[in-house]
Amino acid sequence: MAITWEYPPHIVGGLGRHVYNLSVHLASKGIDVTVLSFTDGTSERHERADGVEIVRVNPYVMRYPDFISWIEGLNMLMVERAADLKSYDIIHVHDWLTAYSGIALKHMWRRPLLATIHATELGRRKVLTNDSERHIHEMEWWLTYEAWRVICCSEYMRREVHSSLGCPADKISVIHNGYDPKMARANSAGPRKKGKKTVLFVGRLVYEKGPHLLVEAASLLKDKDLRVIIIGDGAMRPYLEGLARKLNVSEKVTFLGHVDDETLLSIYEEASVLVIPSLYEPFGIVVLEAMSLGIPVIVSNTGGLDEIVTDGKDGLKFQSGSAEELARAIVRILEDEGLRAKLVENAKSRASEFSWDTTAEQTLELYKRVLDEYNANDWKPKAGIR
Amino acid sequence: MHISWEYPPWVVGGLSQELKMLLPEIAKRVRTILVVRGDRDEVSEMDGMRLFKFASSIRSSPHILAYIHALNIDLVRGAAVAIHEEGDIPLVHTHDWVSCIAGVYLKSCFGAPLVTSVYTTELTRSRALGALLNMGIFDIERHCFSRSDLVIVKSREMEEHLTEKFGLDRDKIAFARSADDIIDAYRGLKS
Repeated sequence: MAITWEYPPHIVGGLGRHVYNLSVHLASKGIDVTVLSFTDGTSERHERADGVEIVRVNPYVMRYPDFISWIEGLNMLMVERAADLKSYDIIHVHDWLTAYSGIALKHMWRRPLLATIHATELGRRKVLTNDSERHIHEMEWWLTYEAWRVICCSEYMRREVHSSLGCPADKISVIHNGYDPKMARANSAGPRKKGKKTVLFVGRLVYEKGPHLLVEAASLLKDKDLRVIIIGDGAMRPYLEGLARKLNVSEKVTFLGHVDDETLLSIYEEASVLVIPSLYEPFGIVVLEAMSLGIPVIVSNTGGLDEIVTDGKDGLKFQSGSAEELARAIVRILEDEGLRAKLVENAKSRASEFSWDTTAEQTLELYKRVLDEYNANDWKPKAGIR
Repeated sequence: MHISWEYPPWVVGGLSQELKMLLPEIAKRVRTILVVRGDRDEVSEMDGMRLFKFASSIRSSPHILAYIHALNIDLVRGAAVAIHEEGDIPLVHTHDWVSCIAGVYLKSCFGAPLVTSVYTTELTRSRALGALLNMGIFDIERHCFSRSDLVIVKSREMEEHLTEKFGLDRDKIAFARSADDIIDAYRGLKS
């Protein structure tokens, strides 16, 4: 059983896409997968889709003073709903957001709990300044403490979970994310770039994604014939639009907000380069999508991006936080056709090393290992579960 | 099985004193397990009861509602050890909303009937639901009380309050002040 606060059609970020792809690929391997998730009343409470059993609970039957208690109320209803179902071999939760239900069910069912830590509160914020942030941090600690095994999507995240949550490094398995091959197939003819050079950003407009660095870099490239397209939405958008005006690059920088997959694909086709200027990036699925599409990439030297891209071989890297270095990398990639061709060729090969099928295969191996350990252990249910 | 967030010497307020008078008397009449928040995880005997003392796993919460949700998972940890190691339990008895969430979890999972003693409610404590936090606690109380098979009160005023403000069916409210009254109420539940 996978427990997640987001699952299609309710998607907030990368976590929901991860759980969806993992679940569908596990199901395709014959695994009986049930996903326990959220609904706001606009999706089915119980359905089967893509081979996956999906059970959703609606938390809007109660009132909550803040996000944490909303999450706790959702988890409470999830535990009640899970108990109506059956007992599962493995309980797999994703981030602190479903730690509450996962830990409760682990102890009542006496089944092994696995936790994927996609990101941490300390990693996102760098410092914990109030009780809400400390509560989330402690829930992350508790989850990794209770989990039989912890999964991270990169070596970077393994180090972070080890150092910031005190989780033993040998309890953590690194299983990389994949990417959606539909995106690559749709663009098998390769990108077609015409006219003005296009620099693309795709992601949530939040500080940790570093979109402000691209706007600042655009201001350093005023004399260049290029345009910057920023796709995505978030709390930082008004600030970014103001920054573009302040730096006199409003004409160069276009904010498109959230776009559907079809529009995104057509924009990808026109892109000359994709920039991922993150200050914090546990993995970075978007870089794999771009690499598979034949779009040259420039990434900051942080997190999972640093592991996926080799500088000068399958992409360019710049010092995280430096708009000047980013601007130099953009010029380099746009003005050197030979370099671009080399990067694109190598990037396609590198991207092919990642897939959701591989993610599912490695996760399944881990499940088997955990079940072997569990079966050799005395910790078993002794009372009757309803 | 009784579940509480306090029992002497782990004291928060008046509920612990109330239970100190009541639970040993119940334990003289029926085998009793107490799961309580304590300073560390430990199983022992106290006041004629089998005591499962479990510590809070986390220290920081933005408000009492967030803390109680997390604490109840620790209470479930203790209760699950008790149930798996000591055998099935005939019923779970929780005290006020602060331990009732655990009772709802245990009822859902193990099918044990849930009894909740209500001493105060958010409305009697706060007089009015003036802030979202008060409303959130009230809604948790309403949810847990409605999931309970039996609600025990010590006054007719509280019985009126629960039927009027929480919409509880009068048939599932028992008026009980002593250990004998409570055990009689348990027997009524079984029938």
